[in-house]
This record gives sequence, structure tokens and C-alpha cells, in this order.
Amino acid sequence: MLEALRMFYAPWICWISPFIGSILSLFIGGEEDVKLKGTIASIFTGVSWIMALLMLPDIFKPRLRDIWVGWITLPYGEPVKAGVLLDPLSIILANIVSFISLLVLIYSIKYMEGEYGQARYWCLMSLFVGGMLLLVLADNFILFFIGWKIVGFCSYALIGHYYRDEKKYWIGGPPPHPFEKPSTCGLKALIVTTFGDVAMLAGILIIYLYAGTFNFQTLFSTTNIWMAKMAANPGIITLTTILLLGGPIAKSAQFPLHVWLPEAMAGPAPVSALIHAATMVKAGVYIVARLFPIFFNGYWVNGFSEAFNFFPIIAVLGALTAFITATDAMVSLELKKILAYSTMSQIGYMMLALGAAGMSINATITGYVGGLYHLLSHALFKAALFLCAGLVIHVTGSIYIHEKGLSRKYLPMTWIFMWFSALSLAGVPPFSGFWSKDEILTACINAGQYGLFLAALLTAGITCFYSIRMMGYIFYSRSGEVEEVHGEPKLMWIPFGILSSLTLILGLMGYWLEGVLHDIFNEYFTNVLRIPLTALAHTSTSLTQLIVPSSSIIMLLISGVPAYTFYISHKADSWKIVNANTTLRVLHKILWNRWYIDKFYRMTFVRGLHLSRPIVQRYVEDSIDFSLNIGVPKLFAAMYNGLRRIQTGVASINILYILIFLTSMVIVILAVI
Amino acid sequence: MLVPNPLLQSILIPLIAAIVIAIIGKRVKEVAGWISCASIVYSTIMLILVVVKIWIDQNPIYEEYAWSELAKLKFGLLADGLSLPVALIANLICTACAAYSIPYMRHRIESIYGGDDWGLYRLYFALYTLFVVGFIGISLSTNLVELYLFIELVLIPSYFLLDLFGYSDRHRVAIMCFIWSHIGAALFLIGVVLAYVKTGSFEVSTLSSLTGTYAFLVCFFILIGWLVKTAVFGFHVWAPWVYAEFPTCAAPVVAITAGLGSYVMVRLLIQHMIETFRIFSIPLMVWAVITMIYGAFLTLAQDDVKRLCACSSISQNAYSLLGIASCATLGVAGGIFYSINHLIGKCILFSVAGILVHQTGLRDMRRMGGLASRMPLTAALFVIGAMTLSAIPPLSGFQAEWIMFVGIFRQGFHGSTTGLVIALIGIFATFLTLIYTFWPVKRIFFGPLPNELRNIGRAPYIMTIPLLILAIISLMLGIYPDILMRFLNSAISASQSY
Repeated sequence: MLEALRMFYAPWICWISPFIGSILSLFIGGEEDVKLKGTIASIFTGVSWIMALLMLPDIFKPRLRDIWVGWITLPYGEPVKAGVLLDPLSIILANIVSFISLLVLIYSIKYMEGEYGQARYWCLMSLFVGGMLLLVLADNFILFFIGWKIVGFCSYALIGHYYRDEKKYWIGGPPPHPFEKPSTCGLKALIVTTFGDVAMLAGILIIYLYAGTFNFQTLFSTTNIWMAKMAANPGIITLTTILLLGGPIAKSAQFPLHVWLPEAMAGPAPVSALIHAATMVKAGVYIVARLFPIFFNGYWVNGFSEAFNFFPIIAVLGALTAFITATDAMVSLELKKILAYSTMSQIGYMMLALGAAGMSINATITGYVGGLYHLLSHALFKAALFLCAGLVIHVTGSIYIHEKGLSRKYLPMTWIFMWFSALSLAGVPPFSGFWSKDEILTACINAGQYGLFLAALLTAGITCFYSIRMMGYIFYSRSGEVEEVHGEPKLMWIPFGILSSLTLILGLMGYWLEGVLHDIFNEYFTNVLRIPLTALAHTSTSLTQLIVPSSSIIMLLISGVPAYTFYISHKADSWKIVNANTTLRVLHKILWNRWYIDKFYRMTFVRGLHLSRPIVQRYVEDSIDFSLNIGVPKLFAAMYNGLRRIQTGVASINILYILIFLTSMVIVILAVI
Repeated sequence: MLVPNPLLQSILIPLIAAIVIAIIGKRVKEVAGWISCASIVYSTIMLILVVVKIWIDQNPIYEEYAWSELAKLKFGLLADGLSLPVALIANLICTACAAYSIPYMRHRIESIYGGDDWGLYRLYFALYTLFVVGFIGISLSTNLVELYLFIELVLIPSYFLLDLFGYSDRHRVAIMCFIWSHIGAALFLIGVVLAYVKTGSFEVSTLSSLTGTYAFLVCFFILIGWLVKTAVFGFHVWAPWVYAEFPTCAAPVVAITAGLGSYVMVRLLIQHMIETFRIFSIPLMVWAVITMIYGAFLTLAQDDVKRLCACSSISQNAYSLLGIASCATLGVAGGIFYSINHLIGKCILFSVAGILVHQTGLRDMRRMGGLASRMPLTAALFVIGAMTLSAIPPLSGFQAEWIMFVGIFRQGFHGSTTGLVIALIGIFATFLTLIYTFWPVKRIFFGPLPNELRNIGRAPYIMTIPLLILAIISLMLGIYPDILMRFLNSAISASQSY
């Protein structure tokens, strides 16, 4: 009985349960009944987590299971089946998603007290979790894409949760810098991510035309057939790759479609925690990891050279995003915006790892595991950081770090756990962030991509800098005025306490965990997917194993020491240094304006659209409308007025008409003959 | 079959109801609306019975009645996998709008003529019920004269309802509507007559015996006739006026005419003249893409909520046209699916626009804002409509869109690079849909509430519940599209392969 549940029903219950929770929490309980609605949503997500845990033993004996039912029949062609795919990747992701979502939901029972829109909030939060679990477990592109779009829609609705745009929910600033309203932020997220989704759908459909299936497993096993057909038309594989990657790039907020994520924190803090840690941006990393074996098979096993493009694209974009957004985080003053930048940067690392994994067969396992390991540790510390940030903002009522001035005396739990997570983000040993970042750096070296390695290393330093800066501003205020605040509700600190403790525990077990993941995926790649990795790959040298951790620790020190003097011990003043130096001032301005990328989009697309409106309406539509609906009737009127004038009734003129008619007839007849 | 002649009943009962309403409607006052509603529900039930029967044994149902011995005409009604879903959805939308009209028309008559005028009220419902007769007729008819007759039958209520109950400048727009629809119908009639001259029969099935230039001409005229009705770029100028100025409660119903355009193209041109139709494939696809993009930008330029819905129809109908013009099996099936999806979504959006007019008296989105706090259910409905159109699952839009675009891309790969470019531009044009549906959501429902809208109340349930039912239908089609695809498959597999 339990075995049947575990084997067949667990994955289905896992993703369906939050959907049921979503419907129930919409209808049960009054509009203000946050406890009841929250409990319902949490219970159904809890069921998902239990189901995910039941699936967990499967990852140690890797195999691939596809449990499906009939779904859509198509005229001429294989019907599309709805199914769940169980392999180490989907099981690990399902566990991360359901566990973190559960904690976030429990946290928000307290956080959302007294806010408006309870029914909407809980319904959408559950739907969000359900959509993410669906996309993680789906066995084919169509079902996956449904989950993918549901997640996108829920993020739109939840980012714009405070749709009334009250001033206290505005983000941006501080004055004189402009503010953004929550409803605009939601719309921006929806539009930018949908642009990627459309591209991705086009890519999926092109693959379907060649492969005749949407199923991931079949796509993998028949790569040699359909990719050969594609390779016959040069450029098609590259085109498909770019289209297909549009989705993950937009969803995971990678350059150049990363502009939406900094504004995505306009919603309540638990929503940001879900978006950043569990249910939204991780989807992009997941699908890249899911498509990885297909393209890997295409290039390394079957030798279609165009399939290789998949890897450098994500590696370079990932490294670029990691660097650009980390620098943005160095100057930002909004607490949640710093965290948002750091998310993009960390996701960039994951993309980089997956890209590097495919660029050389030496780095495959290290890179793939590094990407997933970093996904896991990032999910833990980022969820914890956002939940801490929610509490900090809640008690101080300010979104800016320089207006906090808190003391660890009054918020001991927040202080300790926020430090844990921040250090994990910075990549300080022994926290889990250190191990996973280490793995990614090793992958870059193994792949022989020294440029990418340097970019990643530099970014690691910047990350450490801004993590310490953020903590310094919040808890070690220079002015010495410490705000006396009370209130760390248990329901709020226990969830992030669990998450931060886990990041420490996983860090302490880091070396061992790395080995376990290596074994799992080595087994998965060689025995389940049957890619002959070991025969091709060299083992990494002991030199690399030494260089990477030592260089990353040196980098941490180089950036950590100045950050400590500026923001914690206050031995030096960063503002003075910046203001004294013109180059630094210009640099600060560029970074503050996010490299002007966002401004550029705003100027071209948003302004362009607004400019197009009067042009389309006044000059194009109105002129067509006028010529057809007014011009043509006028023409007819003119014609019959003209004709009426001809009807003079004078006999001689009529005879003239007859003459003209007869002569022209004669001419016509003669011409014809 | 439990009920005798269900198809004939589904047409005759609304027709009789229309006559009854016209005679006694003035005396029974608001009951006239309920009679109309009941007759449409009855004919919907008839159609559902047929649906159940076809679902079970997969055979189309055909009813035939003697009509005119002289021209050897038979009055045939055919319910197969293609015509039945279209007729049923048209009927469901008519039902929803009939219920919605009951409170709305009182408001409308009061604002035009001042006070209740039961004579006009019953006239509205008598004419409205004729729409249903027309739509079922267009979907089910098996010969071209019959088809033409029902097309013209739809024109009568369109003209009178617009002229009597429309919005600003209604007399001019009513004439515009009449002339443009008539041009479309006349071009169609030329095609029909040409076909008759050659084949000596008006039966739809004889179209397939046409060949050569003659087939080309017939195909051309029928196509152009329907392109006028589906408002492709160039012929679209009537659409923003007619849809926007139509009494809101019947605007979705007029939009059905355009939706039926895709059905008629499939029924006549794809099923019977596919070889000739293929000549038009690429030009038509280009035309459709131009219309999609132009329609989208036109929609984005609107500030009037009703004109917004009207202009988006131009763009949305072009999607279905693109699918059908691809001549690929999935493109055609998806095109019909998409057109059904669009009808549902557009009905919801139009009706919400009507609710806004009904409750606030405003049409200008620049003066709205924050209404979600005053009418949450209406806001939710508008979002659902927007999701349906911009293909966000779990609603039906996504399923229709991907099925359709598989066909469109297939044309691209079997054809040339042109086809691929068209397909790519087409799929990226769907991105614009999202902007023009979700930006209005923000403009109307989000943000701070203007002071003059503080006292706006919730919409009456009779207006929102029917829309909710449509939303549920869309949801069902989205979760399990086989409900519809099974019918379309059976119809499309039965005809020749293409």
C-alpha cells in the first residue's frame, strides 16, 4: 500500500495538492480569516512536501520513471500524454520547492495579519507552489509549459498584491530618485517574462516538428534522429537553442532580460522569498538542467556541432549577469533590492556552472552538480534572508538599509540567523554557500574556461563585500542611535531559523554532500542516460583542488576586510572615498542606475509604445477610416451629383450624348475587328 | 435519439420564441427577456443532447427537409465534429448575453429614451433571439443558399439593434455595419452563384468537383466575402465602430459572426477546395500577420474600454485566420479552437466593459482606476478574459495557441523560409496580446480609486454569473482540451488529408 503510494501516486499528489489547497483557501473562511486560510494552504503544501520526501529514496538508486495518463489527442500524430518524470533532478527540485514553500507559507500566516486581499493571497500562493511543482515534475514540454506560465502569472499577481498602490508600498527612491508602484512592477515582470516565454514556445514547437514528441525522455533517447534532421538545415539548431533559452533567461532574470527582478520585490516579503528561493527564478535553472542532457547528447555523443552553442550561451550570459548584478548590489540602499541583485548574481553562477559543464567533458559532473548544489544552498539562504528582511522591514517600517539602525540586543534571533545566511551568501566556509561556489569555480577550471573562472572569482569577492555592507548598515549603525524594537514572533523566526540552520548544517557536511551528489549524478549520467562519461573524462588534478578554495578564500579576505572597516568598525568612511574620486563617483552613478540597461529599455520600448499610440490612431487608423467610411460615400455622392447635372433635359445635348456614344461604339467595334 | 429532430428544434424554438416575444412581449415586460433566455437554453440543451450522442458513437447527425422542388433545394442540417462545437459555443455565449441583457437593456433604454419602454424592450429580445437562429443556421446548414439566408438573417438584428440601442453616432454606424456586412455577403453570393452555374447544385459537397480557374474564382469570392466579415487589415475599418457602438450586451454576439467566419472558411474552402485554397495560403498568412500586428498596435492606442475590446477582435480573428491559412491539419484544428477560445474570452471582456459602463457610466480608461476594490469579482473576470486571450494556462487559450502554431510552423518548414519567418513573427505577435490585455487591467482596476468612483457598487449577479460559467468552460477546455479536440479530430480526419 505504502509502496504503491510511493511509487505511483506520490508525484501526482505532490503537484495536485497545492492546487486543491488553492481552490479551498479561496472559498473557505472569511475575507479576513488569515489563520484559517493560511492553515489550509500550509497543510496542502505540507502534503506535497511529505510526498516529495517519500520520493527521496529514489535518488540513491537512480533510474528514470515516467508515469503518464492520456491527455490530448491530435489528428495525425502521437497523442500528448500528461505524465510525471522521476529522476534525481526532479526529485531534488521537488523537495527543495515544497519544503521552502511550506516554511514561507507558515511564516506568512503571521506576516499577512491585517493585510487586505487574504483570499487572493492564499489562493495565488498555493497556485504558485502548485505550478512550480507541476513544472518540475512534468514529463513533457506542454505540461511543463503550463506550470511555467502559471508560475509566471502568479508572480505577476503577487508582486502586484498591493494593487491599490498606497504610498507606503512604493519601492525605489530615496528621493530625489523616482519611485515605482506595485501594480507597475507586477506588469513589468509579466511582460518581460512573457517575452521569453513566447520565444521558448516557438523553440518547443520547432523541436516538436522535427522530433514529433514533447516528451523529455523520448527527446533525449531519439536525439540522434531528430537532431540529424535539424542539422540538415544549417542554423536551425542555433535558432532553436536561442529561442528555447529565451524562456529560462527571462524567467531566471539573466542578462539581457533581467530588468524585472529588482522591481519584483514590491510584493509582500514572503512572496519575494518564494520568487527568489523556490518557485520562480529557479524554474529557469531547472529547465536548463533538464535540457542539458539532450544537448549534451547532441554534441558530445552524436557530434552535431551546432548543439554545442547551447553551453557557451548560458555560461557567458550567466557569468555576465553574475558580475553586472553583483556590482549593482554594492551601491543599492534598499534592503530587498540588494537581495534581488544578489539573486540574479547567484542564478548567474548556476547558469555558468551548467554552461561550463557542457563545454568540456572534464567538467560535466562537477559543473552539473555545482549548479544544482548551488541551487539548493541558494534556496536555503536566500529564503532565509528574505524572511529576515521581511521581519526587519516590518519592525522598522523602512525599506532602506541606512535607516535601520537595529541592534542585536532587541532582535537576537534575526541577528544570528541573518548573519548565518549572509555569510553563506558571501561564500564563507563552512557555510553551504562556500562549498557550492567552490564546486562552480572548480568546474570553470576543469572546463578550461579561465576567463569565466576569473569573472566568477571576482564576483565572489563583490558578493562578500555587499553581504557585509548590508549587515553592517542594518545592525552596526554608525550614528549609534539604536532603535528599540520588540517583537520577533515565533511563527516568523522559526521558519527562517530552520532555513539558516540548515545552511550551516549542510555546510558542515558540505564535503560529504558534494561527494554524494557526485555519485548520484555520475550514476545517473552513465547508467541511466548511458552517456559514456568516465571513458572520456579526465579526473581533475589535485592542483585544481588546492587552487580553487585558496584563491576564493583570498578573494573573500581582499573584499571582506575593506567592507568590515567601512561598515562594521567604521574605521573609514566609504562616502568620503567615493566623493573624493571622480572615477569612483561616475562608477557609483553608473552602478546606481543599473548600468543604464533598465533606463535604455524604458526609453526605447515603453516610451516608444506611448509614442506609437497617437501615430497609429491619428495618422494610420483615422486616415484609413476616413477614406473608406467617409471618402468613398463622398465619392459616390459626388458621382451622382455629377450625373444629375448631365441630365439637363435639353434635346440637343441629349442628341450630342447619343452621337458620342455611337462614335465610340464604332471605334470599339473597329478596334476589335 | 430521445428527442425527435433535435437540430430542427434547436433552430425553430428560438424562431418561434422571437415571434412570441414580438407579439406578447409588451404586456409581459421583463419576462420577455426570460422567454428569450429560456428558448436559447432549450436549443442549447438540444445541441448538448446531440453532442452526447456524437461523443458516444462518433457518427455525424444529418437531418434533411424538403424545401424547394424547383431549384432542387433541400433544407439540410448537419451536426458533425466541426459544426457542433461551433454552434454550441455560439449558443452558450448567446445564453450568457441574454441573461446579461435583462438588467442591462433596462439601463440602456432608460439612458437613451428616458424611462422604461417595454415596447422597445420586447423588440430588443425579439431581434436578439433571431441571432441565435442565424448562428445555429450558419453552423449547421449544408447548402449554400441556406447558408446565405442565415447570414443575411443575422444582418437584420445587427442593423436594428445598433440603430435603436447603440451608443454615440449610432445611426451612421448602423448604416456602416449594414453596408459592410452586405458587401461581404454579396461577394460570398457571387462565389455561390458562380459555383451553381458550373455544378448546377447549391450543395456544399459539390464544391469539391470544381476545378481550374472556376474553382479559383469561387474560392476567391467566398474568401474575400468572409475576410470582410472577419475584418482583416484594410477591411477592418467597420469593426472598431460596430463592436464599440453596439449595445454592450449584444456586442459579443456580433463578434460571433466574425468567429463563424473561420468556421465557414474551414467548412467550405478547407474541407472541399483545399487544392485551390492552397494557392492563397502564403498571401493570406502574410495578410493575417499584418492584421495581427496592426490590430495589436491599434488596440494599444485605445483609451475607450469598448473600443479596446473591439480593436482586439481584429487582431484575435487574424490569429485563427493565420492558423487556417496554414492549411496544415493542426493549424486548422487549432484555428477553430482558437476562434472558440477567442469568442469566450471576448465575451467576458466585452461584458465586463458593459458592466463598467452599467455601474460607472464611464468608457474612458483614463478616468478609471482602482476599481478592483469596489468590484472584485468583475476585476477577476476581466483578468480571466485577459488570460484567455493572452494564452495563459490553465485556461483554453494556451491549448488552442500551441496546437494552432504547430500547424503554422509546419507550413513554415514544409514550405520555405518565408513560412518560417511568418510563423516566428506570428508567434511573437502574441506577445503584444499580453500587453494590450494586461495593461488595461492595471489602468481600470489597479491603482488608487478616483474620488468620483468611491460609491460604485458591485455588479448584479445576473450579469456576472453567466460570465463565470463561460470562464469555467474555458477552464475545462484548458485542462482537458480533448473535450473539443476529439470532435475536431473526428471531423478533420474524416475529410481528406491535407
